[in-house]
Amino acid sequence: MEQQGSQAPTERMPVYRKEKAGVNGRTEGPLLAREEQQLVEGLLAGNEDAVRALYARFARPIFTLGLRLLGSSEAAEELTQDVFLTAWRKAARFDATRGRLSTWLMTIAHNLAVDRLRRETGVTRPTLVLVDEVPEVASAGDEDPLLERDAAVRALQALSDAERTLLVRAYFGGLTAREIAQADGIPLGTVKTRLRTALIKVRRANQDKDRL
Amino acid sequence: MNCVAVRDQLPELAVGVLSPREQVALERHLEWCAGCRKEAAELGQAAATFAFALAPAPLPAGLEDRVVADVGRAAARPRTGRRTRTAIAAVIAAAIAIASLGWGAVMAGRAQRFAERAAQAEQAKSQALDQFQRVLDTLPFQARADETHLGQLAPTPAIQRGGGAVLQLVSPTRLDFVVVIVNGLPSDPSLAPYRVTLKDARGRVLQGGTIAKLDADGGGQAFRQFRNTDLTGFTTVLVRDASGRLVLKGTVDQTTGA
Repeated sequence: MEQQGSQAPTERMPVYRKEKAGVNGRTEGPLLAREEQQLVEGLLAGNEDAVRALYARFARPIFTLGLRLLGSSEAAEELTQDVFLTAWRKAARFDATRGRLSTWLMTIAHNLAVDRLRRETGVTRPTLVLVDEVPEVASAGDEDPLLERDAAVRALQALSDAERTLLVRAYFGGLTAREIAQADGIPLGTVKTRLRTALIKVRRANQDKDRL
Repeated sequence: MNCVAVRDQLPELAVGVLSPREQVALERHLEWCAGCRKEAAELGQAAATFAFALAPAPLPAGLEDRVVADVGRAAARPRTGRRTRTAIAAVIAAAIAIASLGWGAVMAGRAQRFAERAAQAEQAKSQALDQFQRVLDTLPFQARADETHLGQLAPTPAIQRGGGAVLQLVSPTRLDFVVVIVNGLPSDPSLAPYRVTLKDARGRVLQGGTIAKLDADGGGQAFRQFRNTDLTGFTTVLVRDASGRLVLKGTVDQTTGA
């Protein structure tokens, strides 16, 4: 067994150590499910390299989402800290074979932001601070483009303007399908179908690529 | 909920606009339904794409070190954490106080007529709810209403006496726990210890604690905190005596908060 363990030390090295050593870059390159699981196990153990590797990859989109949803840098900063702490608490439940790390973290971030807005406004549905702005469909030229963002922007190109607007109203605007249906004067079933169709289009566009 | 109803709501779950109650109901289904869970994961991934597509904002200086320090501090503590253990201690203390209040005495099978018994059971239920609310008020953190769930335990035909109440905390941010309070059970020492088990729709079973012995009113309490297990879906609560005979049974309503 010991011999087996020493056969391929590079392959068995946790991804966050490789990243620290510059083998895989700090923020770039796709992660395999096994590597995502390693990162989360490192987080669970409180390994500083693992936390920094996760931060390098995901803090920016988490902070950006918080900024857009909560409306202030202070709130977004608190949200970012809460997301990493919540991820640590839930780390034992993460299963890379069931879903991707990026989705898991962004879902935590979105849920925490919505919870916060619900607490602060005392309503059951969030009143999100946002958004007259649709995420960009294609904009090269960011100084430090993250692979995740590139892939996301490309995936959104699969949507029509109407579909993109619909998803933005729900995801960033916090509008339920029923509220959108009432506002637009169309049947609830139609809104649900369009929402589903739009998400499936994004999903298919994502599937055309490797893991983010 | 069946798969058709669940899938109808999955897009709204993915974009995070369901109410907490709707979300809990869906997540209960996703616990055991692999097909819906797969679809939920895929739609969630698609929704998260929007967050990644935002033009990135610059990160504040020092935030990385604060995140690292937060996680380092949390991981350095025992996994249960002082705060959570304190909370549990408060629950236990409150549970013991409740047991001494004697609300369960009305459930002890003293009433002879069915109507009277039913009325008293209703009264006991109302008292149990009030007293569990007091438990929640003693917690050193604000337990969210949609994370705390209650249930009642009724006697089985095998025993025909006694009753109880169940409190569960099912939280994404705190360790889940269950507290079970019983009263009016036979105080014959040979029947103890009583064991509590929790079951979900797939038949998975969790140990929910042990009641080592009963007081003179046939009352006692059990509690258990779950380090790595999510109690979502574990809504059936069973209490068995030392011989394995089922004495109390009930269901926790996880679709509504306490």
